[in-house]
Amino acid sequence: MGLGAFARSEALTLGVELELQLVNTHDYDLVSAAPDLLRFLSRRKLPWDIKPEITMSMIEIATGVCHRHADALSQLGEIRDALVAAADSLNIGICGGGTHGFQHWGERRIFESRRFGHLSDLYGYLAKQFTIFGQHVHIGCPDPDSALYLLHALSRFVPHFIALSASSPFVQGHDTGFHSARLNSVFAFPLSGRAPYVQTWDAFDAYFESMVKTGVVESMKDFYWDIRPKPEFGTVEVRVMDTPLTITQAARLAAFVQSVARYLLVERPFEPGESDYLVYTFNRFQACRFGGQGTYVDPESNAHRTLSEELDATFARIEPHAMALGADQACSELLRSLRTGEGDAALLRREFAETGSLPETVQRQCQRWRAA
Amino acid sequence: MIDTPWPAGPFEFGEVLRIAIALLWAILFSDVLRRFVPIPRITCYALAGLMLGPLGLGWFEVQDMPRFRMLIDLALALLLFELGVQVNLRWLRTNLWVVAGSLLESALAFAAVFGLLLALHMDAKLAAVIAAIAMGTSPAVVMCVAAETRAQGQVTQRMLVLAALNTAYAIIASKLIIGGLHGAFKGDWLLAVMHPLYLILGSFGIGTALAFAFKLLRRRFDFSDEQGGVILFALLLLTLSALEALNLPVGLAPLFGGALVKFIDPRPHLWPRYFGTAGAVLFTLLFVLPGAAVTWHDLASGAGVALALLLVRGLAKGCGALTFGPASGLSLRQSLALGLALSPMAALALLLVQDIRLIYPAFGNEAAAIVFTLMTVLELAGSVAVQWALRSAGETREGGA
Repeated sequence: MGLGAFARSEALTLGVELELQLVNTHDYDLVSAAPDLLRFLSRRKLPWDIKPEITMSMIEIATGVCHRHADALSQLGEIRDALVAAADSLNIGICGGGTHGFQHWGERRIFESRRFGHLSDLYGYLAKQFTIFGQHVHIGCPDPDSALYLLHALSRFVPHFIALSASSPFVQGHDTGFHSARLNSVFAFPLSGRAPYVQTWDAFDAYFESMVKTGVVESMKDFYWDIRPKPEFGTVEVRVMDTPLTITQAARLAAFVQSVARYLLVERPFEPGESDYLVYTFNRFQACRFGGQGTYVDPESNAHRTLSEELDATFARIEPHAMALGADQACSELLRSLRTGEGDAALLRREFAETGSLPETVQRQCQRWRAA
Repeated sequence: MIDTPWPAGPFEFGEVLRIAIALLWAILFSDVLRRFVPIPRITCYALAGLMLGPLGLGWFEVQDMPRFRMLIDLALALLLFELGVQVNLRWLRTNLWVVAGSLLESALAFAAVFGLLLALHMDAKLAAVIAAIAMGTSPAVVMCVAAETRAQGQVTQRMLVLAALNTAYAIIASKLIIGGLHGAFKGDWLLAVMHPLYLILGSFGIGTALAFAFKLLRRRFDFSDEQGGVILFALLLLTLSALEALNLPVGLAPLFGGALVKFIDPRPHLWPRYFGTAGAVLFTLLFVLPGAAVTWHDLASGAGVALALLLVRGLAKGCGALTFGPASGLSLRQSLALGLALSPMAALALLLVQDIRLIYPAFGNEAAAIVFTLMTVLELAGSVAVQWALRSAGETREGGA
């Protein structure tokens, strides 16, 4: 399967995918309920895309093409309501969060399909360890070359996206000390990380073809990059975010990504370069580990500041674009949530401190997911 | 004779020795047998119990049962309370098809057993009591097999819920019918109506008290640690003594109390599997001791009818599960597995029969032979059936980390 042509899409349109956790309502451990839930949902004709993921305790939902934050929020709301109703009928809990706090990876089951079976054979236990839950945001690009510009320019904002979405402090029953521990599981994959620095679609196509020739990849799906192009949709897909605890937060994050993208595509404020990637993994790690308190190294000036300071500066720069997209309120609420310590990771830690129990923390995640 | 510190023969051993031997034998036997046949532990315990009982060594007899009754009651109370906590009443309110399926499978099981016994010219009252008891699925078997295989999923969850519901129906229906017997035997119809009502309302009352006591104590104690575990034991002992003092049945109150706990407080309520070591001892005995109840005479006189009952009851439960399974969100395969998983009968049926015997000695004996035989087969085969059903539904997590 080749790369194919880069589909036409309306610039700066928006699509949101969320991977969600399926838990039982007794001890709130993950439960292999995806086939049950999908079967139950298949009785109704739903306009949304609801898909299985690699293990049976995960499910992925996706909006259609949205123009504004408000569209995304209302579509996510409708999907959420349909899912919650189905889950209630099956006595399953659904929740957000980048990791499940206390599941054991060894108990996960691979969803039965050709692709997932292949991945499981290839990656072994990594496939089960991949029971982590992310939010992906697609941004429509007018043409493939601007898609690649956007992809590389967005890489400077990966720490921002991570810090704002981080919701995975607990892994396998322990507090990791990370705000987003989820991304550590992604890094184990050989084809994870970042896309090669090529600036034109022709060059990218050539890279892809030579990778296919090596026999290492078959399709774009085999790349687990933080940001990757999606030629079928004509979009660039940002994949570093943890699934937040609510659709409200998910829609805000999407609005923020969209506003940054508009800032980049309209203003073309800088030319990205290979040298941007010198600090990429450092910045990314700092954001995962420390959230807003992490260090951000400016790839251009090499100045060090906290990610919070960098976020403030970014918000100031993108504000006119956020306003043009009707996303300014969503963006400022997002920033405020991080500043006031109401980010999802902080929230989960607080709830664990309050209840002293991870199962109860997950139960509250379920309540939060249905409520907002 | 002068008091001496030295023991004098013949040595007197009490119940403790017999319990010790029963436990040792059950565990050793299960350990050896399971090397050759991959069956659930409780199946082995039940087999071990049969070997110790009148069918084998005669180490235990049915007359001994009252002496061990306390242990069986406590084991059942613990199990039923835990089962109750796993019954999410909110879910049943949301998915009425599950309730419809439960009512149907129980009604069909009652009708099938009752009909067959009538066709065999059994007395209608006796037939009704047996049919009522046969509605119930053994909570002990389904819970222990689910725990042992670490099963989790739609079939497991529905098996537990339907077992909880049909156990409640079985207790209530058998008490109602016994009430009717009061009327029939003694001509006292006021008592016939009032007594079952008292049993049911009384059980609900005690169950409610248990639930609120649990909720109150949960504010201070974590039931998943050792201290909390002791409190939970104490709470259920308290419940049992209240039930005994008030002449109420053992099963209903802890079951209802558990379900009420989950209803008023949907947080996870967790404690160690089998309630820790003490619980594991009790549950082992729960499967070993019923072996004492079955005699060759029971088997000889009850076997034919019991096997026929087993078939029609299994068929009825299967049909019940299949009818509303798909509407309630199961696949056909899952519905079939669920129907099969509802087949076990065990200690609770034994207790119900014993309760009847206490009130109507002559009446109970006839029923006993049939129910005991049915129970024996459905404890052994039923536990294997549950294991098989959960495996075929892909819900067991054996051999995992």
